[in-house]
Amino acid sequence: MELTDFSKPTRQSSKGILVIFALNSYKFIRNFFGLFLVYGLSISKNKSLAFLSTTHITLIILSIFIVILVLAILKFRNFKFYLDTDEFHLSTGIINKDTTIIPKSKIQNVYVKQNFIQQLINVVSLNIETAGDDKAEIEINALDRETALDLKQQLFSKNHLVDLELDEKQMQTTVFFKASVKRLLLEGLSQSHIQSFLIIVSFVFGLYSEFGKYVQDLNLEDRLESSVEFETGNILNFILANLLIVALAILISMLFSVIKTFVSNYNLEVIENEDTIEINKGLFNKVSLTLTPAKIQNLVIKTNRLKRYLGLHTLSIKQAMVNKKQQKNFKIVALEKDQVSHLVQKFFKDYNDEGVYQKPDRYYKRLLMWRSIGIGALVNIPAFFVFGAYFWLINFISITWIVLFVHYTYKKASYQITDTYLTITSGFIDRLRNISELHKIQSVELKQSIFQKQKNIASVYIATASEQVKIPYIKEHDARSIYDYLLFKIESQDKNWM
Amino acid sequence: MFTNQQIDLETLPTIDDIVFKPISKRYLKIIVLNRSLFYSLLFSALIIAKFMVEAVNFHLVFWYVLWGVVLVCIIDVVITVLAFKKRKYAIREQDVIYSKGLLVNSISAVPISRIQHLEISRSWLARKFNLATLKIFTAGESGIDLSIDGLNYDEAKQINDFLSGKVNGTN
Repeated sequence: MELTDFSKPTRQSSKGILVIFALNSYKFIRNFFGLFLVYGLSISKNKSLAFLSTTHITLIILSIFIVILVLAILKFRNFKFYLDTDEFHLSTGIINKDTTIIPKSKIQNVYVKQNFIQQLINVVSLNIETAGDDKAEIEINALDRETALDLKQQLFSKNHLVDLELDEKQMQTTVFFKASVKRLLLEGLSQSHIQSFLIIVSFVFGLYSEFGKYVQDLNLEDRLESSVEFETGNILNFILANLLIVALAILISMLFSVIKTFVSNYNLEVIENEDTIEINKGLFNKVSLTLTPAKIQNLVIKTNRLKRYLGLHTLSIKQAMVNKKQQKNFKIVALEKDQVSHLVQKFFKDYNDEGVYQKPDRYYKRLLMWRSIGIGALVNIPAFFVFGAYFWLINFISITWIVLFVHYTYKKASYQITDTYLTITSGFIDRLRNISELHKIQSVELKQSIFQKQKNIASVYIATASEQVKIPYIKEHDARSIYDYLLFKIESQDKNWM
Repeated sequence: MFTNQQIDLETLPTIDDIVFKPISKRYLKIIVLNRSLFYSLLFSALIIAKFMVEAVNFHLVFWYVLWGVVLVCIIDVVITVLAFKKRKYAIREQDVIYSKGLLVNSISAVPISRIQHLEISRSWLARKFNLATLKIFTAGESGIDLSIDGLNYDEAKQINDFLSGKVNGTN
């Protein structure tokens, strides 16, 4: 395989103009959408601004787009990058010239993305992210897939002159996992639909508050009422109608979850290389990520009872990064149990699932109980206003909930500290397992309230560069020795955390 | 040479042995000044409202509200003053430790090798009292960052220099 030479300043593919143009036009339209709406309304009412004729408007819009196009071309012309042995250089800016230099060793992530427009004209964008702040993020908008992959590989390789070695590594690439349609469907169906439901509800409310007036004009309420026929006063009808609404809500939420799962995980593929893992996925926004074990701060394995039964596990890979939106891409869904263990072992070599897990003190259970009883008691107040005299019936639901919540949350909480790894499990419906390497810990904190002090209980908070985890409510003596042990482990090893 | 001795957990350096150093007493004055400013604003707002608002309901509850605020104020000030004694720090060979809080006590430790950057910040009041706040940042947003208030300015500078020297030395 011949590698592209990036040692001379290069521009991206000339299709980049189109991508930049489309992106800027989209941004422009989104920013001035409100203005257009106001303008459109005022035209329809023939009030102000009517002195502008249609030709004028067309001309104005046309000139705006020409300006955007010219800017896109200039931006493209001034966007140059090159790579030397250990640094990536980028110069940008039309009037204010910016030069960004990133040492290869500081690069956290390189990922290849392809949005809808880029899919149409067959280019990809390459993002380079460091652990620093947002501004250090670089996006190259338009590269051929081949070139992008080359660049990515060269960014990761210590020395891009050693081509032979790279070739050898290429040979050992295997497709480790491919999510079938059936598994993705199951994954979508077994998701927590509450979240989807909330998204839909907020979306509908958002729409309603924008276009409420028009909806009112349609007399929707009258129609709804007449179709459900409240007048009959038949209690059976009333229950049926409510059940129908609930069933519809569940169905729509499920559909939404399934579609969401498919759109973001379409063609999910995990590729195993010599010492990295590659994830490819996405329908409208195709992403391709390379994961290096050294940069991974935490691994989170998530499943629940139903999913475990179906053999579905989600592995989230947490790295030190600023872009929260990207974080959700670092996730592999629909994995079998042994596939998860295989991947975990790929990232954390000496990790094994076995070993004894320690439990938090029973104080944690009591605390959970008192907290949820407090919330349960408060629920009575709104219930009184909604249901009137029958408000106390709600306590049947909340007591069941509290019992289940306290029991399962306590049951699932545990922790394990070995020579090199820290594992913490938690969750109520979901079962979460958070694994991190001891030498990647950034800081430790011991917390204890005045009541816990009397009972000799304390919690330990442990932060890595990507997440903060908590060992909840253990004996103070244990907490202190964990604290000392972790600090000793961090400080006595001369390992880098990234 | 590589060794792999078994570690006796009992002999590890422990936080129980640390002799913490309290922060400057002058910082209590700053806290008290800040609090009194806040509560005097609150009280004056209440008293102005007493003369301006004409709604009867307001006057019915006014005294309850006033005494409620007085109670909260007293409790808050007492707790703050007591909690002041809990603010203390220690610098070991390998890490910086800061402990604070009365109702919820926390002891945070940042290993020196994990420090990303350091910052000394001084508010207007702090400059008047010749005090400074030393902020110690680790990588990642979610990290536990230390912010040691009420250090003598010279001391803060000294610690800052010591730590940055060590951070740069180890890198």
